[in-house]
Amino acid sequence: MMDLTQRQWVKHAVTHPVEGFEDMRWKKSGSLKIAFFIVFLLFVGQVFDGRLYGFQFGIPYDKTFSIVPYLVKSVVLFAAWVVGNWSVCTLLDGEGTMKNICIYSAYALVPYIVQLFVNVLLSHVLIRDEAVFINVIRIIGVGWTVILLFSAVRSVHQYSPGKTVFAVILTIAAMLIMLFLLVLFMSLVQQIWIFILSVYTEISYRFRV
Amino acid sequence: MNKRLKFLPLVLSGLLFLAGMSPAAAYADEPYDVYNYDRWGEAIPSQAGYTAERSISGRDLGAGPMDEPSDLFCDHEGNFYIADTGNDRIIVADNALEKTVRIYDRFIMPDGSETTLSKPAGVFVSEERDWLYIADNQNSRVLVSDMDGNVVLEVGKPESDVYDQQRTFLPQKVIADKAGNIYVVLNNITTGAAMFSPSGDFTGFYGANRVEPTAEIITNYIKNIFRSDEKKASMARNVPSGISGFDIDGDFIFTCSQSVTQTTDTVKKLNAAGKNIFAGLELAFGDYTPMYDTANNKLMKPAIVDIDISDDGSINCLDRTTGRIFQYDEECNLMFIVGTKARQVGGFDTAAAVESYGSRLYVLDSAKDTITEFTETSFGAIVHEATALYNDGYYEEALDPWYEVLKRDGNYRRAYIGVASALLRKGDYKGAMKYAKLADSPKLYDKAFEAYRREFLRKHFGKIAAGILIAAGAVIVLKRRKKHGAAVTETEEKEE
Repeated sequence: MMDLTQRQWVKHAVTHPVEGFEDMRWKKSGSLKIAFFIVFLLFVGQVFDGRLYGFQFGIPYDKTFSIVPYLVKSVVLFAAWVVGNWSVCTLLDGEGTMKNICIYSAYALVPYIVQLFVNVLLSHVLIRDEAVFINVIRIIGVGWTVILLFSAVRSVHQYSPGKTVFAVILTIAAMLIMLFLLVLFMSLVQQIWIFILSVYTEISYRFRV
Repeated sequence: MNKRLKFLPLVLSGLLFLAGMSPAAAYADEPYDVYNYDRWGEAIPSQAGYTAERSISGRDLGAGPMDEPSDLFCDHEGNFYIADTGNDRIIVADNALEKTVRIYDRFIMPDGSETTLSKPAGVFVSEERDWLYIADNQNSRVLVSDMDGNVVLEVGKPESDVYDQQRTFLPQKVIADKAGNIYVVLNNITTGAAMFSPSGDFTGFYGANRVEPTAEIITNYIKNIFRSDEKKASMARNVPSGISGFDIDGDFIFTCSQSVTQTTDTVKKLNAAGKNIFAGLELAFGDYTPMYDTANNKLMKPAIVDIDISDDGSINCLDRTTGRIFQYDEECNLMFIVGTKARQVGGFDTAAAVESYGSRLYVLDSAKDTITEFTETSFGAIVHEATALYNDGYYEEALDPWYEVLKRDGNYRRAYIGVASALLRKGDYKGAMKYAKLADSPKLYDKAFEAYRREFLRKHFGKIAAGILIAAGAVIVLKRRKKHGAAVTETEEKEE
């Protein structure tokens, strides 16, 4: 029973929001490689969503292009989720390892990514009056991913539904704290860098004269 | 040797030709960088629509030097009326601004006595009645006289409960509509322009600005719930900025406000009922991103002191902070930015009034005591022609002028919109899509794309339908075969 390949497990987990991840856990299945590939697809999807939308739905600002916001919206956010969830649930008697949290959460993102790609394609076929289709697909994609994420957290840590909600809220708080510290750290490094730079400039001017 | 000598005159004449060219090229330059705004609200270099032709002083007009003139008006016959405030007179100059036609400094009252002006700040001539309206600032009155200087009407401070009697009555600008109603801008009144009936009776205020909902006002509103009445009474009241200038165009009165802190209602288009037609539109007048003035340590926020409507309906707004005229078309799309703060011709110190006649613009500077005349460049003429055609709905007729505009200035966004609209009307949807994309206009692109898609589907419907049918058929056949194959293997297994 349930002798699926790793790829079939993705399909199984995504199409069975309630039991899929439980089955995966029971079979000790899930591949880190596929999880990373999914996160990469998320990144590509975010870039497509930002840059390749049909022009009738808005023209992107293309005087400058920075990859950083897209990285933050995909890879950094996912990493923060995994680390935050792991650190919170370790304290809350969760059973998931970091690896499993990463795999299960990545699998749960599949509907959202599919939604991104489908909408980018649709945006080149539809006009503004028909934007409702795009919106419906987006709502379905996001909703499905939320349900899957909930189910993933529940089965990876073997929580009750109530405790899962609690853990998810704490995870989001942990993510915010982490991002805040990250920004703080970056600005600090920047300040130090500017300080070193100005000292260097000062000294170089002295030596020249 | 001979050969070389032969070439010498040729080279010399070539050099002379170049030398002759360079002053002409320098002449075409403005004393400032000409710019416009792109879709993202960022300043980009542009072609000049107007060029400063000359600057005219009171001496050039033969009327002696002007002293802090504050208003300029061009009547229906093309004569210019200058309110020479410091010299207590009104100068009337001819259309070419070469000589003085007449100077008004004293008027004859209906009872036969003579009266003089004191710091006249505004002047207006009514086309229907041929009357002269003067905002006689220090005499606290508005004088209405005929062209021979006989006073027809004298409007003083209204004795009405609506008008706060503790306030002074110092008219700044005056206009009159077709029916003869007189509108007066007062610099200490924030409730709009004072309106008088043709017989000089005060009828109320017209076109008050709205208070801008800033964060401070909102917090004050919340705090006021808890404040006592005594405290409230001692608080500074939030009042909107007053009107600083206006112009009348047919049935509409355009007003502007020179407050640098206010961004709502800086320019209004009022109908006869005093309702602002621009109110619902999200419009910004003046510079989008004000420059920072390092010398005075402040932002150069726009202060629109005067407004003028050209014959073709363009709106000219004069910004005193930057000394620039922002010219908009009827739909409030920015066309040109003209002028600067400078000593050269084409620059201003304290720009006070703007006026237009035909394709020319005139700006009165009350510190330099001059009038600067701007003439339309050939680029400006083409843009005006194309804009007028476009705004009247002649999209296809506007196509050629718009192409010409693009030839001269590839950054001119309105031209891309014009071309896209024309191509859309013509049925060249692919071209319309291309130009809508270049214009950064998603709405226009949407329309063009909708039409293009419809055309595409109509043309290729047969192929698309056939493709879908074949694909569906293939899927069904494949599935059946798979099932059948599975069934066959199952039976084979059973047999074993």
